[in-house]
Amino acid sequence: MLYLFCTILGAGFHPAQIVKLKRSYYKEYAIIAILLLALVVLNLILGSVIIPVKDIVSTLLGHHTSDFVSDILFSLRIPKLITALMAGAALSICGLQMQTLFKNPLADPYILGISSGAGLGVAFFVMGVSAFGISMPSSLFFSLGIATSAWIGAFAITLLILLVSYRLKDNISLLIFGIMLGSAVSALISLFQYFSSTSALKVFVLWTMGSFTGLNPGQIWVMFFLILTGFALSVYNIKDLNTLLMGEAYAKSLGVNLEKTRRRILVATTLLAGSVTAFCGPIGFIGIAAPHIARLFFRNADHKVLIPATALLGAVIMVFADTAAQLSTPIIPINTVSALIGVPVILAIILKNRFV
Amino acid sequence: MESMLILEKLCLGYNKVIYREINARAGKNEIIALVGPNGVGKSTLLKSIAGIQKYHSGTIKILNKDIRSYPPNKLAEQLSFVPSQSPRAKNFSLFDMVSTSCYNRTNWLGKISEQDYDFIYSTLKKVGLDGFAGRDSSKLSDGEFQRAAIARSLVQDSQIILLDEPTAFLDIANKITITRLLKEIAEQENKTIIFSTHDLQHALKICDKIWIMGHSQFFSGEPENLIEKGAFEQMFKDSSLKFDSKLFTYI
Repeated sequence: MLYLFCTILGAGFHPAQIVKLKRSYYKEYAIIAILLLALVVLNLILGSVIIPVKDIVSTLLGHHTSDFVSDILFSLRIPKLITALMAGAALSICGLQMQTLFKNPLADPYILGISSGAGLGVAFFVMGVSAFGISMPSSLFFSLGIATSAWIGAFAITLLILLVSYRLKDNISLLIFGIMLGSAVSALISLFQYFSSTSALKVFVLWTMGSFTGLNPGQIWVMFFLILTGFALSVYNIKDLNTLLMGEAYAKSLGVNLEKTRRRILVATTLLAGSVTAFCGPIGFIGIAAPHIARLFFRNADHKVLIPATALLGAVIMVFADTAAQLSTPIIPINTVSALIGVPVILAIILKNRFV
Repeated sequence: MESMLILEKLCLGYNKVIYREINARAGKNEIIALVGPNGVGKSTLLKSIAGIQKYHSGTIKILNKDIRSYPPNKLAEQLSFVPSQSPRAKNFSLFDMVSTSCYNRTNWLGKISEQDYDFIYSTLKKVGLDGFAGRDSSKLSDGEFQRAAIARSLVQDSQIILLDEPTAFLDIANKITITRLLKEIAEQENKTIIFSTHDLQHALKICDKIWIMGHSQFFSGEPENLIEKGAFEQMFKDSSLKFDSKLFTYI
């Protein structure tokens, strides 16, 4: 990541003619960084209880303020904020890679059925638990169970798509297969819902609405390392993604192993989107919207610029959505807010058709 | 003359043969036009040579070595391919577009070396896109974009350059500019250039050799010999067209 920034910012040290050409993006990154910082502070301040900046700073510096404030900060707002930051960045760079791979401006991290796979896993778990008469929806067992089953579901679907990708050589066929598979799995989920109890149904529906709360430090660390691995893989994909912009025939003539590249992108997607979905539920729209906003703002299609830009903008949007969501009591589900932000963006894309 | 590229009993197609028995050679600094009716398999032939597509049987040799024994990156050092219509990426600068072809020389992140910077600039100058480096490649005109694609394959620095209909969709002025450019590259840079085209008149004038993919037979040879042999009569032999050997065209 650091190296990446250095290469982008380091353009200023080349001979004069190159400087003119390789614009540096100090200004854009600075704007986003300031925006992100402001939103992070706002996110910690605002909520059903408003905590003054003074108290936040002294609590974070380790001075004793009140148990009430440190309790809200350390067990509620900070874990939630970290989760939102990770989820926003992860889903966004996932969406970017899907859009480039499938040359489709409306592709998102879930286009190959990862979210429905995770949904199926959760549906199995929730209905199974209720069938065995275990009712402890708030216990650790339950939250871990949901995350694990979502992960298994997402992983199973990606594994299936990976296996099929050995056979289906072109990306459009793979895309169609993924979408079909997603529909079939969604139908299975509906079937489960139809036969499940009201309480189980409620738990499932709540999961589909998405949430950044309720993660303990252990879970946050697990999520962090999964996303870090996915991010590293995405950075490694940059070079191949840039050649894919110029068409598959050209990429192949350069000696790019398209099948390997595709598999690497799929694995990165599972690590990123699969993990976010497992811990936070299927968070929609941000995966489509963030890459487009990054393209609009940076006016550059080079993935060396787009990957960090998209990750940062994704984090900004997610924290913004989360701050907006926590302003009301009870907190509005995150998917509702992100849809309200995402939909206008997608509509603008379709109406202007400027990204095709 | 030393042959860069040799095709021996090459049959095109994947599961079933769509074109059989191509025998041809291409030497250094030769420019070759590949002509034939629509749908006969000109693109397939070029893509098979470029290693983008599998072929049915026979052998394709570069420098006397079967292309199947080249790893993909080594093949890319020998041979570059310009597709008939490359997709255009919005906001992708011409420099970034051309620099993607340094793929096999750059590090894992695709960082361009100083040497390649100079190489890219001098190549852009050569194809007449001097001062265009920072432009959005998706906003270039068709003629400029085709020159950019040629620059890209020059930067790839391969001995053989294959172009799939580089002059389709271009007006007459651009057609002539592109074919002259190709001729110049073949002569000055010692490259082997093979391009498919429907512009027979022009091809006959500038090319060292013509490969004709007729419906039933493949011909390879120098333009005059092919005219004498009546090879062009074969190309559209099922139609009422006749080849006029003075006008270099069908009437």
